[in-house]
Amino acid sequence: MNLGELPMIIFTVFAQMSVGAFITLGVIQTVGSLRHKSATIDRIADPALYAIGPTLVLGLIASMFHMNDVFNVLNVFRGWESSWLSREIIFGMLFAGFGFLFAVMQWFKWGTPLLRRIVAGITALVGIGLVYVMSMIYYSLPTVPAWATWYTPVSFALTTILLGSLAVGMAFVTTTMFRRHLLERDGKFFGAKVAPEKADHVQVNELMASSLRWIAVAVIASGGALLVLIPMYLTELAGAGDVGVLSMVPYTGTTMFLRLALIAAGAGLLAIFIYAFAKARTNPRPLAIVVTLAFVLVLVGEMLGRAQFYESMIRIGM
Amino acid sequence: MLGFHFDASVCNGCKACNMACKDKHDLPVGINWRRVVEYTGGSWSMSGNVATPSVFSYYTSIACNHCENPVCVQVCPTTAMTQREDGTVYVDDDKCVGCRYCEWACPYSAPQFNADTGHMTKCDLCADYRDAGQDPACVSACPARALDWGPIEELRAKYGSDNAFEPLPDPSITLPNLTVTPHRDAQPSGLGTGHIANPKEI
Ligand code: SF4
Ligand code: SF4
Ligand code: SF4
Repeated sequence: MNLGELPMIIFTVFAQMSVGAFITLGVIQTVGSLRHKSATIDRIADPALYAIGPTLVLGLIASMFHMNDVFNVLNVFRGWESSWLSREIIFGMLFAGFGFLFAVMQWFKWGTPLLRRIVAGITALVGIGLVYVMSMIYYSLPTVPAWATWYTPVSFALTTILLGSLAVGMAFVTTTMFRRHLLERDGKFFGAKVAPEKADHVQVNELMASSLRWIAVAVIASGGALLVLIPMYLTELAGAGDVGVLSMVPYTGTTMFLRLALIAAGAGLLAIFIYAFAKARTNPRPLAIVVTLAFVLVLVGEMLGRAQFYESMIRIGM
Repeated sequence: MLGFHFDASVCNGCKACNMACKDKHDLPVGINWRRVVEYTGGSWSMSGNVATPSVFSYYTSIACNHCENPVCVQVCPTTAMTQREDGTVYVDDDKCVGCRYCEWACPYSAPQFNADTGHMTKCDLCADYRDAGQDPACVSACPARALDWGPIEELRAKYGSDNAFEPLPDPSITLPNLTVTPHRDAQPSGLGTGHIANPKEI
């Protein structure tokens, strides 16, 4: 792995994970509101929401290491009229800004639920825009055949779904474990009421179980899609002349095997879990372990995949 | 629009242009705004017991082509990569963040990164020499008179407008302000009939 690209690997993967997690939470809020009270949903969704912030900030900090002269960094907005890199930074800032605003509104319960939902909707749209703009940075380079293909936006979108939904799943099981731990105490964490009320304990667990089931479906579907699309992409590269064939080198050997194995293992674990554990009343401990393990496996797999992506940068010409 | 002409039929690969540029701009080790690329290849044919080789090897001196479609300028997030009125493209040191995006975009490897300053650097067609009425350093240095520069229309009128020869990329990508008088063995761009023999020098 080329360490020089590590900032970009961390930035792109973590930013996509944040967008995906935000969207996953939005879907859970919207679909969940058909059957549950909004207070019940907030109780499981809010802790996950607050976990997105640090993830994104970590990604943005990492991206700074990619700038070799931080003193000139404020210039990066100037090129927005033609440069996708400028646009990426603008969208990254906007997503972080709206996300932060929404998180604060949610924490203090500012505004009406409708207003909060509108802010969340805008954030989600900006997030989708961010993933699109990110992929255009690479897609729009006519000089790099390995990047100027449909695979770039498609794989970025799949990373977003895969890691975003898994991250939410992991946040859910972690908070469940944490809550059980707090249940016997006063049920408060930094002043916020996080422990379930006795009354909606069952609903929270039910919502959690059905959310996890759908997350598993999303992970298996997008992981499966990736396993089909990667070979398709490589076949295309193989037909793209000398430069295309050279660009394929990072997609061979142990890394490639490892990456496919990690995704398959992560998605596979979740498939087993759907059948075995995701019932509202089962002991959450094995569930927490499985979901966390799946998240770690897929995260490592996707980081490897992004490393391969950067290494496949072979420019035409000289 | 200013540009370069390169005559591959007289270049003998001496690299005087490369050295003159390095000297003029005090370029550190590893940064070469003008480079001389050796392209080589070939095979042989058998007739009876006689093998007849048909091999080729020729040089291309290349710097920045101050392109009509400068992809380096388009991708730059800071507008540090700037095109002047006369068409020449240079890096504004006060703006560059060293993101290296221009390096990914240019198919001629013209933008080259200086790790010490954290900025991109590249050929500016010797702006100060031109202001003083002098020719660019590389052009004056060539003992074979293989390089020329000037308004691209004049260069094209004088030398023709060909520039699609290996190892140069397809000119439709950046529309380089470059004209090339081909070597007699010149291979058309994109065929990949040979390979670059001195990748470490470019
Ligand atoms: S040769 Fe490269 S650096 Fe020079 S103007 Fe063209 S695209 Fe830009
Ligand atoms: S390295 Fe400098 S000149 Fe090149 S794209 Fe980045 S900011 Fe622009
Ligand atoms: S014009 Fe000047 S800067 Fe450009 S390659 Fe020649 S000597 Fe170097």
